[in-house]
Amino acid sequence: MVHLSAEEKEAVLGLWGKVNVDEVGGEALGRLLVVYPWTQRFFESFGDLSSADAVIGNPKVKAHGKKVLQSFSDGLKHLDNLKGTFAKLSELHCDQLHVDPENFRLLGNVIVVVLARHFGKDFNPDVQAAFQKVVAGVANALAHKYH
Amino acid sequence: MLSAQERVHIAQVWDLIAGHEAPFGAELLLRLFTAYPSTKTYFRHLGDSPDQARLLSHGRRLLEAVGVAVQHVDNLRAALSPLADLHAHVLCVDPTNFPLLIQCFQVVLASHLQGEFTVEMQAAWDKFLMGVAVVLTEKYR
Repeated sequence: MVHLSAEEKEAVLGLWGKVNVDEVGGEALGRLLVVYPWTQRFFESFGDLSSADAVIGNPKVKAHGKKVLQSFSDGLKHLDNLKGTFAKLSELHCDQLHVDPENFRLLGNVIVVVLARHFGKDFNPDVQAAFQKVVAGVANALAHKYH
Repeated sequence: MLSAQERVHIAQVWDLIAGHEAPFGAELLLRLFTAYPSTKTYFRHLGDSPDQARLLSHGRRLLEAVGVAVQHVDNLRAALSPLADLHAHVLCVDPTNFPLLIQCFQVVLASHLQGEFTVEMQAAWDKFLMGVAVVLTEKYR
């Protein structure tokens, strides 16, 4: 469960309302795969990831980024019950996908950087702090069912 | 360890910061303290709620040190040796804090450069700053 003040919640949801979830998803996943190339280990079937341009332009990366961020977006509607909301996805990532939860933290941080890129000065320290709490909460929820 | 291309990206971004170390540094510290309040335990000399003057002053020192690292990418160990001693013997900052500072650094860059903050710049700066962190914590034990 993530502990946001009323102001933080308002800041998060307010900013999120202006986000193009599809675009931000593709960009975040693309940046993850370039900045932390070892994360490519989960995406060997995605085709050409040989250069930054190839990754950013890769249609499978964009599509998957969109899917991931839509799921993240759904999670924002349930900030009081992230563990419940992401329980099934947590099991999937452990049992079928075998993803080290550290990757959720890395992606969360990249999402924050992408938001900063899009919103500039509006992404002030308080807004960043609120989002860092949210991405940490989502990462923990996704790791919760690991065994 | 850094490719020629990566050095170009590091220099390009540094060009935008050079001369503005104080405001960038102040923003970096404010973001760090706001998002990760536990990091304030290492900056008690700045007070409980550091004012802008203290943030600017300490922020400048921090970014000037980054500037030294930028000028000596090929020889970080020698260039940062006094700072490595300081962190090992005096400051004793737990190594897990450096990635938090690096995350805030990326956010500062992204929010200022916006459309110009390419993925290559983000990748080069992440790699570079992690390299600096490794050098600063190398003498811990």
